[in-house]
Amino acid sequence: MDSTALLLARIQFGMTAFFHFLYPPLTIGLGLLLVITEGTYVFTKDQEYLRITRFFAKLFAINFVVGVASGIVMEFQFGTNWAQYSSFVGAIFGSPLAIEGLFAFFMESIFVGVMLLGWNRLSAKAHWVSTILVAFGSTLSGVWILVANSWMQTPAGYKIGSNGIPKMTNFWQMVFNPYFPSEFTHVIMGAWEYSAFFMAGVAAWFLIKNNKDTVMRKALKVAVIFGVIVACGQIIVGDIGAREVVKYQPTKLAMMEALWHSQRYAPETLFALPNNATESNGPQIGIPSMLSMLSYLNPAAKVMGLNAAIRYINKKDSKLDHTKLTLAMFPPVWIVFWSFHIMMYFGFYFALVMLIALYLLLKNKLFDSPKMLKLLSFSTFLPLIAIELGWFTTEIGRQPFTVYGLLTTFNSVSKNVSAVDLGLSITMFVLIYITLASFAVYLFKRELKERVEGKDELAGESAKAAN
Amino acid sequence: MNLNILWFILVAVIILGWSVMDGFDYGVGGLLNFIAKNNEEKRYVINAIGPVWDGNQVWLILGGGAVFAAFPLVYASIFSGFYLAMMLVVWLIIFRAVSFEFRSKVESAKWRNFWDTDITVTGLGIALLLGVAIANILMGVPLNKEHIDYQSLFSLLNIFGLVGGLISLSMFLMHGSTYLIMKTEGEVQQRARAFAKGFAVAFIIVTLLFLIISPIFAPRLLGNSFGIIGDLVPVIMFIGAIGVILTAGSSSDIKPFAYSIVAIIGAVASLAVGIFPNIVPSSINTKYSLNIYNSASNHLTLLVMLIATIIGLPLVLIYAIYAYKKFGLKVKMDDSSY
Repeated sequence: MDSTALLLARIQFGMTAFFHFLYPPLTIGLGLLLVITEGTYVFTKDQEYLRITRFFAKLFAINFVVGVASGIVMEFQFGTNWAQYSSFVGAIFGSPLAIEGLFAFFMESIFVGVMLLGWNRLSAKAHWVSTILVAFGSTLSGVWILVANSWMQTPAGYKIGSNGIPKMTNFWQMVFNPYFPSEFTHVIMGAWEYSAFFMAGVAAWFLIKNNKDTVMRKALKVAVIFGVIVACGQIIVGDIGAREVVKYQPTKLAMMEALWHSQRYAPETLFALPNNATESNGPQIGIPSMLSMLSYLNPAAKVMGLNAAIRYINKKDSKLDHTKLTLAMFPPVWIVFWSFHIMMYFGFYFALVMLIALYLLLKNKLFDSPKMLKLLSFSTFLPLIAIELGWFTTEIGRQPFTVYGLLTTFNSVSKNVSAVDLGLSITMFVLIYITLASFAVYLFKRELKERVEGKDELAGESAKAAN
Repeated sequence: MNLNILWFILVAVIILGWSVMDGFDYGVGGLLNFIAKNNEEKRYVINAIGPVWDGNQVWLILGGGAVFAAFPLVYASIFSGFYLAMMLVVWLIIFRAVSFEFRSKVESAKWRNFWDTDITVTGLGIALLLGVAIANILMGVPLNKEHIDYQSLFSLLNIFGLVGGLISLSMFLMHGSTYLIMKTEGEVQQRARAFAKGFAVAFIIVTLLFLIISPIFAPRLLGNSFGIIGDLVPVIMFIGAIGVILTAGSSSDIKPFAYSIVAIIGAVASLAVGIFPNIVPSSINTKYSLNIYNSASNHLTLLVMLIATIIGLPLVLIYAIYAYKKFGLKVKMDDSSY
């Protein structure tokens, strides 16, 4: 295995994971919002909520298929590109993937057909149940995928067998590994947050054109009420998640906070230019003692710096892979630091925007405030950036391990896949992804335009009723 | 019976589920540009699989996950060894998965033709490549001592592999045709009856050819571990195909599809019998072959997954039956169709 092939394999995985994860959050979150709007229709018989549901279901469908198409790549890539990883941890890591297919993905994919094509075949209640099953299935998919991912962060429920390969000793310990509860909550809330901004942004876009659009007024109302709860809750959940990192992944925490040397009264650094070569930050701005406080609820607590954390991992946690870690094997600290910090700043921004929107809504001024509508419309996809930055933090921060403390990335890659093969497949993936993303954006825009032109999702039905 | 044998059977059952359920999707897709003459007919054909193809596709994902968890070494060796071939399949699947949704979103003949061709080409491509891959596994893969194999895409395209590809291609086209007999009426149905007969004949011919050349390319198939009974399993394939030929022209809408399923059961059973207890035979040295024991996960993983399957699979069948029932036997178009 030469280093070019390793680098290319990492680029390919990072790229395909990045592209894939642009889609599932909206499937998960918008699924739940559709349950809410359709449920409101079922119980109030207010046709406008049905219109909201049918319109956003079309956007959901476009997003859903690209998510599924790109997700298949993710599953197969473990075998094609990370064969050593697959043969090493497949017995543990493979089971949540198989269970996801069996319990969640079937439910989601079978009922998505019923939901999207069954408007005229099912009673309103039965259709709503299909929508619920789609939303539930996609969330359950998230559960099992995050079981698999969090296990890579904090492996549990296994023992090294006589052949040197880890074997599962306790299924539930594997599932509820230490990082799972907080990672799951954080990711699902991120998905909800994005969907709230998505629905709010799209509705605001329509209201800028016509602020008397009563259907979109209702959509915006639902999105803001849902969004304010989620955006505020996410700040608390994020804080809990970070404390799990403190406990289980000292090297990641040190990179997230750009802390090079262990320190009492450690500051929460707000701005820094971390430099791996000098092992320092240059100019930095921080809140004194805040990191110690946030990490251990004690301003005097000592927080482990990156150097100490590497020594600690080398001594304590390397159970199997005997690669001795050095600073040179870790990613540039600035990537992890800024991914984490920008995500965090976005989190506060989202809560602020939603709080202002709620205030205006309660004052009955939201629909008549072009500035706020523009801000919401502008913010539509910002949560997606935050979500991807969150993944950068957790995945790049895990390096140089694939399974933290157990297996390095260097020892995970397929030995028999050449740099030429990888170059070829990366080129194809780039082309395919650019094509798919352009189609998706084009179709999203088209759906918006059609509605503006009056080709409403229920126009066909009212025409039929008129005949 | 131990867990390893049970998991071998379960993986075969999942492959069977995939071939029966997703197989007609590939077949119908591959037929699209040939069986439908205009846009109306194309929509009609697409809506025969429209509400269900997405759920059917999960069989493939389940199969991937099941092999990953139950036989991780197989997953790692085959997927990395067949690298570019696997990538090709993945790209075809990606383009296929988006085509149905994308096609119906824009009313332009050019746009639709593009996606119709895409549905046809990807359907044919996946159906062909599947058989190529399986025939190569039956023939044996150059696995070395560490169970790693190094192969190029072109080394897979040998005569035996290609004949295997033609088997799966004709099988899925036959299966798709019989599915359309069941789902459609009128002219499209008449054409589907003719196609079903033709592909069943083609399936019989290429399968015979495969059996004739097997002793040269894959002699181990003759020495299967079930002896003479094992040698008789491929007969099921012929019974199914002959059944399709006999019933395709009749007035029955369902029988051809049922016989087509019999043919697929025969194909998957022949594959399982031919290879057991190996999963990936090594062409370098039989000692290096991956079998149900040296490639499997530990006992607890197999047990946990077995329990999950026993609970999960019936649920899947309940959802599927509900969805198929809701959309009725014959395609009915309305404003929410593709």
